[in-house]
Amino acid sequence: MKAALLVLKKEFLELSKDRRTLFFTFGMPLILYPLIFAMMGRLGSHDAALRAGKASRVCLVDPSGVLAPALRDDPRQFRLVPPPPGDLRQAIRDQKLELEVEVEPDGAARLARQETLQVKAQFDESDDSSRLALDRLRGVVRQLQTRWVQERLHRLGAPPQLAEPVRLETVQAGDLGLTAGKMIGSFLPYLLMIMMYAGAMQHGIYATAGEKERGTLLSLLATRLPRTQIILGKLLYIFAIGILSALVNLASMGLSVARLLASAAGPEAPAHAQAAATGLAALATPGVLGFTFLLMVPLGLFFANFILLAGIQARTTLEASTALTPGIFVVVFLGVFSMAPGIEKMGWLPYVPVLNVSLAIRKLFSQQANMGQYWVALAMTLGLAALMTWVSTRMLNRESALFRL
Amino acid sequence: MIVLEDLHKAFLVKDKRTRARRRIEAVRGISLRVAPGEIYGLLGPNGAGKSTTLRMIAGLMRPDRGRILVGGLDTVRHPEQARAQVGYLATDLGVYGRFTPRELLRLFGEFQGLEPRTAERRAMHLLERLGLGGFQDIRMEGFSGGQKQKVSIARALLHDPKVVIFDEPTTGLDVFTARAVLDLLRAMRDEGRSVVVSTHIMPTVEAVCDRVGILFDGVLHGDAPPREILAGRGVASLDEVFFQLAAEAQGDRP
Repeated sequence: MKAALLVLKKEFLELSKDRRTLFFTFGMPLILYPLIFAMMGRLGSHDAALRAGKASRVCLVDPSGVLAPALRDDPRQFRLVPPPPGDLRQAIRDQKLELEVEVEPDGAARLARQETLQVKAQFDESDDSSRLALDRLRGVVRQLQTRWVQERLHRLGAPPQLAEPVRLETVQAGDLGLTAGKMIGSFLPYLLMIMMYAGAMQHGIYATAGEKERGTLLSLLATRLPRTQIILGKLLYIFAIGILSALVNLASMGLSVARLLASAAGPEAPAHAQAAATGLAALATPGVLGFTFLLMVPLGLFFANFILLAGIQARTTLEASTALTPGIFVVVFLGVFSMAPGIEKMGWLPYVPVLNVSLAIRKLFSQQANMGQYWVALAMTLGLAALMTWVSTRMLNRESALFRL
Repeated sequence: MIVLEDLHKAFLVKDKRTRARRRIEAVRGISLRVAPGEIYGLLGPNGAGKSTTLRMIAGLMRPDRGRILVGGLDTVRHPEQARAQVGYLATDLGVYGRFTPRELLRLFGEFQGLEPRTAERRAMHLLERLGLGGFQDIRMEGFSGGQKQKVSIARALLHDPKVVIFDEPTTGLDVFTARAVLDLLRAMRDEGRSVVVSTHIMPTVEAVCDRVGILFDGVLHGDAPPREILAGRGVASLDEVFFQLAAEAQGDRP
């Protein structure tokens, strides 16, 4: 093992000499995520505030005037505008107005006859402002509906409860922190996989196919170091870079999210943001983080082996890169699958390698950890990583791989 | 001492047109001995099997058949111990460009089992000897081909090997650097090392080799001092021997 550690030392020494690569691997994520999240937060809150503080432009066609007074009474939410020239639908798409509301011409008469009043609203689902206008209209219609039903009941001499035979009261069993934890737990494995694989890939290519391409591999193989130890040293390097890269990225992202939540949970913030922030802090216990890290180790080894095998088999860095890039799509697919709702209910999932890691992490973060399934996932991934390491050392010991004859 | 006994090596290559796999006999039954204090020149055109033979002696490849002893150690049975006896210089001028010569040599000293201080001392001595004394702390990415070659030579000799194998050591070098390399080869012979040099540059052979073997299509011809080979064939230069062997090989082919 001493020889493998010497090779590991050589790889890290080589990396330490390249300040730019070091910066882009470990420094950039520490700057990039806080910047992105800060910008996202600022843009998001600015946009939401802008939309909330702006009255929705509504083109109302209401000849009998049943809806118009209610909309006119609330100028903070609605601004009635005359119909723009041309197609109304196109005008909504062009964001010249948010909503077109059309009430039946004999609306007042219908209401008087105690019939149902038809109101048609045209909006653009893809536009946030248009959706907000529709929500505001729904609120107004709901209020009017309640008032009109009560008036009708009153006229009939019936009690107001007649229109409400049952009232459902909901009590939140979970908390917003748990909801946030579940959400994070569902995409954390995805992030871990992507970051470990992508972080290690280029370094792995440099240390394998790159050594061949630069003509330095032969000088390393000609030393007294056992070949298996050279391969193990490179494997350790790729693994370490993958883990470090994922940790740096996650730490930076985690801190950025925490900062975003903390700013949202300030003194003027709504209660649910504060609850999410405190709940999330309570979820990310050292135990949960420790168990998650423990799962990352064999998963990282698995990816490192994959990169090592492709890297050493390739003649050039381009060939290795071309071979390994599709791996990102596989990892993305696995990640997206692990984020899918309801996958935790699939009975066979705890026995599928890699995916069971996703499931275990997901459950750890949702406070539903099944330790039996956790240990199965850990044992299977460890076994797989060990098998892959054995295959790598066997295959890469072959001259056909090292010299690619 | 280097001993090669009936060495064979073949590769399977794929024919791009027919997609069929073809067996190429790179080395066919080579036997030779190189004594301590002797420079052996392995000559031959490109693709004759020189590099494959040298890689097998250096323990980088395993022979399909036959045996190689380096300092009395079988390279297949005791690969690590055998490699520890060998200083190998490959054809490629691959150096770790991010390192300075001092850093590289210190690291390779550790790979070869040297104490860091010993590695440092030997590294400095070799760099001085090769005329790179002022460059030991400069990153190698900007080095010329000759400078890289000198660092590679220092790396190959760092652990004081009994056997030195240089694959095309003067190819692509200017006359000054080539002369420095040849002087070094002579010095290593005088220090009692067994030296094998492969080349297709005949003046190099005539200048330093005590004995030469000419490889052609994986078969060793000659194995004698250069003058004996020339006298035996009745020609004035080793180039002529090459052409004769090529004609004989063409005649042998069906």
